[in-house]
Amino acid sequence: MLLIVNIAMLIFMLAPLLVVVWMSTTPTQLFILPFTDFSLRWYSAAFAHPGFLEAFWLSVRLAFVSSLISVVLSLLASYALLRGRRVRGLELADGLFMSPLIVPAVVFGIAMLQFINLIGLYNTFASLVLAHVIIVTPFSIRTLQSSLRALPVELEWAAENLGASRLTVLLRIVLPVCARGIMAAFLLAFLISFSEVTVTIFITGPGYQTLPVRIYNYLTDQVDPTVAAISTMLIVLSIVLALLLDRLGGLVNLKK
Amino acid sequence: MNDAQSRRVGPLVLLLPLLALMLAFYLWPLLQTVINSFHPFELSGIDFSRWTFDNYARLFDPYYASVFLRTARISLIITLITCALAYPVALYIVGLRSRLQAIILLVYMAPWLVNVVVKAFGWSLILSGNGVINRSLRGLGVIDAPLQLMFNETGIIIGLVHGHFVFALLPLWAALGELDPRLKWAAANLGASRAQVFLKVVLPLTLPALLAGAFINFTMNMAAFATPALLGGSRARVISFVAYEVNLVELNWPFGGALAMALLVLTLVPIWLSLRIASGRKTAPVEA
Repeated sequence: MLLIVNIAMLIFMLAPLLVVVWMSTTPTQLFILPFTDFSLRWYSAAFAHPGFLEAFWLSVRLAFVSSLISVVLSLLASYALLRGRRVRGLELADGLFMSPLIVPAVVFGIAMLQFINLIGLYNTFASLVLAHVIIVTPFSIRTLQSSLRALPVELEWAAENLGASRLTVLLRIVLPVCARGIMAAFLLAFLISFSEVTVTIFITGPGYQTLPVRIYNYLTDQVDPTVAAISTMLIVLSIVLALLLDRLGGLVNLKK
Repeated sequence: MNDAQSRRVGPLVLLLPLLALMLAFYLWPLLQTVINSFHPFELSGIDFSRWTFDNYARLFDPYYASVFLRTARISLIITLITCALAYPVALYIVGLRSRLQAIILLVYMAPWLVNVVVKAFGWSLILSGNGVINRSLRGLGVIDAPLQLMFNETGIIIGLVHGHFVFALLPLWAALGELDPRLKWAAANLGASRAQVFLKVVLPLTLPALLAGAFINFTMNMAAFATPALLGGSRARVISFVAYEVNLVELNWPFGGALAMALLVLTLVPIWLSLRIASGRKTAPVEA
């Protein structure tokens, strides 16, 4: 009984992904059911489509810049939270950094939409970066905190006793020892930013459509195998990034 | 240790850049939206010279009230289906060897890693009038006219049971794994049937995890946007979809802000409840 439920659920979980991959290789415009022929023409169509290519590069740039900013600021903040003096209100700061996980994306998207219009940042790359930094920061913070906790404080004391300045300790001890954790935080942040849809839909102007937003808009008026080809490439990219993350021990933090 | 710690005031300064960014571009926008929602909306924009509660009163208009009720009803149905399916799946997984457990869990996590838009696209290929299900059923001669499986509540329910399944599964899997097998042996030795062991021992001990997962799942269903928008659309409007229309089509930000705040409160209450349940547990709490 349990086995049957489980097999049915595994099929249910994978079905929509498999159908997308399947459709991306049909030679015809329409999706014909008994699958016989194989064609890669929709992949070349996807690469020839200027809108999607442009959106892909925008997404990569956005994910790169916002993950970089988030990881640098989160590294400093996590270090401060771990090694700084215990003052009152520190939990509040930690709660603030983690709260974008709890506040629904729709709510933050609406707030950001109204805010960036008020301060005149509508339809700019900067507004997207700001929103994405905030969205990915809880993930950076959690990953970096668990990495920093594994760092023995005696190592830092030893360096300081030998005359190293605080900056030197950070650059020569903390950075190299936590390199894997930092890399994992960056990859996770990149993955989250790259697939972010909701907040981006609310705040983006016509000039800055990320790849998921472009796919979303495309789907609201038509469906053809070009989207299937792009989606398949996105699935593969997610799997590759996830496997890399798993290698770096980043997914372990999420499973907890 | 304490002496050395208190000497190190310096590192605390490193907190400031992120704190400043979060205050300026996260907390301020949220507070600004609250402020906006207490002002009247004019065609020229927000009238900041007057204050009003009208935007909140409007939430109780029959149309908006019905949208809230529909969203809550759909979310609850999704949560019930999810829990009913997650429990047997978790029970099955904990019985496997740990290597196999990891692989199967990864399959359940896979949809989480895939973009929500891609998942909705996949479902539309399966559920649409020309999709896999309708074509197969027509091919087999079971139906004449295509079944309406998307652009209605059914589509939203299928899409979100799929999308949020893992968040109910993981806490259950963790709780069932922590369960001391000797409890089950003891109950069985004392003459309990398998059904009794499950109902009197296993279920009560894992109930907190089930409830915690259910609350998180419910919250995510209430707040979901892309999946209901693509699989339900304007024929099954949920709160987030209406909030999108009010903010980006009508451009009525004060009322749009009120909708956002209502949605925030409606999602924070279940989260708060689930935290209460988690802190009431005697075993180590599962961190999200």
